[in-house]
Amino acid sequence: MTSGLTLYDWTPDVRCYAVRLGLSLMGVAYDTQAADMDLPTFQRPVGLRPGERPPVLLVAGDVRMTRPGTIMQFAARQPAVARAWLDPAHEWAILDWLDFGTMALDALAAARDLAFGTTLPVLPPMGALVAALRRMEDHMSARAMAGHEWFAAPAASIADVLPFVVFALSADLEVERDTCPALRRWAHRMRGLPGFVVMPGVPDYA
Amino acid sequence: MERWQPVSVLSNIRRGEVAGVRIGGHEVVLWREDAQAATLHAWEDRCPHRGMRLSFGFVRDDALGCLYHGWQFGGAARCRLIPAHPRVRVPASIHVRTYTVREHAGLAWVSMEGAEDFPHQQADWPEHAQPVRTVHVHAPVGQVRHAVGLAPDGGMAWHGPVGLAVHEPVAGQAMLHVVRAADGPSALTLSHWAERLRDAVEGGAQTAPVMAELAAGATA
Ligand code: FES
Repeated sequence: MTSGLTLYDWTPDVRCYAVRLGLSLMGVAYDTQAADMDLPTFQRPVGLRPGERPPVLLVAGDVRMTRPGTIMQFAARQPAVARAWLDPAHEWAILDWLDFGTMALDALAAARDLAFGTTLPVLPPMGALVAALRRMEDHMSARAMAGHEWFAAPAASIADVLPFVVFALSADLEVERDTCPALRRWAHRMRGLPGFVVMPGVPDYA
Repeated sequence: MERWQPVSVLSNIRRGEVAGVRIGGHEVVLWREDAQAATLHAWEDRCPHRGMRLSFGFVRDDALGCLYHGWQFGGAARCRLIPAHPRVRVPASIHVRTYTVREHAGLAWVSMEGAEDFPHQQADWPEHAQPVRTVHVHAPVGQVRHAVGLAPDGGMAWHGPVGLAVHEPVAGQAMLHVVRAADGPSALTLSHWAERLRDAVEGGAQTAPVMAELAAGATA
């Protein structure tokens, strides 16, 4: 049986990881089309349009989505997915942090492209990424003091997925874990969720 | 005094948790047993097997396990289980370097020299100080100490019911630890206050007005 969903996926891409993680946590099945962007254009899957880069989620060959935030919302609104992922009682807070998460994920992707796309032993300008992590740390410190464990709702939601990827993969960019103690404790909870998947090549230690 | 470094608020290192901290560039793992005594330990953050950071590991009852190959180290820092060779009696020489650690005034204090004499003058700090938060400040530790009124050799600065301590994870950066007495401002209020102080220090702005909020009790 086919899932009706096809994900054009490039394994080492952080946005693709965010999508794989979100879909897995929500228990959404999909077919994968590997799209290695390091290969020449003619070796990439035919379904990918010129200029398009993964992640691309295709729904029954009709709707196509390329932004992780949109894909999270799409998945969370599927009838079979637990409502907590986009809890109606906390919808605006969830969507607000989801939007923040897409921005932070873009900052992470940009910093990683610069860091790993060069042979120079220098770190890229990390201003946007560091600012995002700090806002997340301040937010989760305050949440913990109010007795909350997740970003925007009483349970894990799509607001937690993208910030998790940002925090976990910033370790590669020498952001030290001890500067974000509240995020460390929350990330530990994320790793314990059913359906959690790791990013290949990145140790499970965030 | 300098020998005892305040490294974390205790709320960041609860039962069964592992946290990496740095002290002057040295990596230290703090972990608390998931056992009745829930003893807190501070060790060198380096597995004797292949050098993996133990702070990436996990607590199993009263032992710390390394993430890489699962070697387990008991409270005395000696390796007591090598999963690949479960029946091997592990030589006593395989152990992690330990530091001394004390829990006081809502903070974990570490001596990398293994000091046992936790200073007496600290006995008059409020006994039941509650941890608020550890905040990373991207500024030299001297600048943060100066802002909060800490002498270079002072362990903590108390401003009424609010206690502040500072340590240097690595040159050029500081960790500010905030605790409160039970009658102090709420943790949330103090957390936001600490963010304002951090932003003032990093932005090169006047810190005296932020400190004055504490004196005025007007941290709301
Ligand atoms: S490096 Fe720690 S068990 Fe191998």
